[in-house]
Amino acid sequence: DLTKGRQMFQQGTTPACAVCHTLKDAGTSGEIGPNLDELKPDADRVAKAIREGLGVMPAFTDLSDEEVRLLAEYVAAATK
Amino acid sequence: MLSSPRIPERNVTDPGRRRLLGGAIGTFAIGLGGFSQTALAQTVAATGTPVPASKPLPQYTAWKEADALIVHSSNTLETRRSAYGSGVITPADRLFVRNNVPPPDPSIVADPDAWTVAIEGVKNPRSLSVAELKGMGLETTAAVLQCSGNGRGFFPSKPSGTPWTVGAAGCVIWSGVPVRSLAQALGGPVEGVVYMTGTGGEAIPQGVDPKSVLVERSVPIKAMEDALLAWEMNGEPVPLAHGGPLRLVVPGYSGVNNIKYIKRLAFTPKQSDARIMESRYRMTPPGEKGNPNQASIWEMGVKSWITSPGTDGEQMKAGRHMIEGVAFGGTNAVKSVEVSVDGGRTWQEARLVGPDLGRFAWRQFALPVDLRPGSYVLASRATDVNGKVQDELRIDNSAGYNNTSWRDHALPVMVA
Repeated sequence: DLTKGRQMFQQGTTPACAVCHTLKDAGTSGEIGPNLDELKPDADRVAKAIREGLGVMPAFTDLSDEEVRLLAEYVAAATK
Repeated sequence: MLSSPRIPERNVTDPGRRRLLGGAIGTFAIGLGGFSQTALAQTVAATGTPVPASKPLPQYTAWKEADALIVHSSNTLETRRSAYGSGVITPADRLFVRNNVPPPDPSIVADPDAWTVAIEGVKNPRSLSVAELKGMGLETTAAVLQCSGNGRGFFPSKPSGTPWTVGAAGCVIWSGVPVRSLAQALGGPVEGVVYMTGTGGEAIPQGVDPKSVLVERSVPIKAMEDALLAWEMNGEPVPLAHGGPLRLVVPGYSGVNNIKYIKRLAFTPKQSDARIMESRYRMTPPGEKGNPNQASIWEMGVKSWITSPGTDGEQMKAGRHMIEGVAFGGTNAVKSVEVSVDGGRTWQEARLVGPDLGRFAWRQFALPVDLRPGSYVLASRATDVNGKVQDELRIDNSAGYNNTSWRDHALPVMVA
């Protein structure tokens, strides 16, 4: 699941998470949104941001519940 | 609508914890993994106790006074409640920072005079450099700059966003060309325009919908009477962190409307359709989505808070104390400020001290009180020249904007 989550993070969404976020595990260095390695969000917080949007970040309404779960659990695990 | 007074006192009765937190001030680096402390920071934010130093200053703010600031993230720095002093003006190195997206490359402030801004929606639209603007008019205005989300940390609903308590605000002096003079020099606004729209110069990465990231805000056109295109802050070129080389300053309006690195100033018949205007920065009811029919975050409300004593964990001894704070009225001057030591049951009028720098600036206030050992709740309540009294309770909204509640800003203290 973490491998799938990483792929989704890198290129599975439009726009890709990677465009805006730095996440060492995924090898990304976007700077528009917060650096996830510093933020260390838990899965619930990530899922909420993906579904509802947060600040500059849009809501990703096209993603399935399963896709949101994969992404949220991946980001939480990668920054623990 | 009336709820019972929400006076958080539990941490005051825990002096060991207060000492611990107070002792953390100035120790600077508790560790680079500072954000593992976010939960703690959010918990203490609601009680007015200090947030521990979390991480070093981001590079573009490296010149700031680290001990006076709380670093929430690389785009959000908050002034500590105890760091305002009594001098009315907030020094640049203590002033908060809130960027919606990261600032442009520092090279843009290397030669501020070379920066250009496009003026549109006037009879003779054109691009002007800062050097040219400097010859078109000069005005200096003291004004409160306050993030729309200042006080969000007091919302029990814990809205998403930075949990600022009082420190996303400062009072600074801007110098620049009045927008009304500029518009007049270019023939005046064209027919049918009702908004003044500013667009920031932030870089937008490829692959992102520009409208979702673009920092573009519209305010009612009447705001042009007081607005400046400013190249100086507190007598120095506007630093990159505060929107240099050129910033749109809309006195009395919430921070987000004061567009940094402004690239375009337009008089428009409609509000911008950028997301930051269309659905963000609205008084959105809890649980609903932002939309253009909800009130936009524009003019600031009447507000005050106490800055000393007993802030950021300062221990208080019995005896005489000078209760100090700041008060402002958005676009209206402050007429008076009352102070309470019993959580708002009784009030005494404080004295306004220091110079009156005009209706957009804040006033310092002071009231001497004699306090015996015990627990107190210090509160302040401002009234503007129109008689509008600072709200007792916040207006609930999904993003935690416009918190002017004097009760939320009350400060529980223990006098030994």
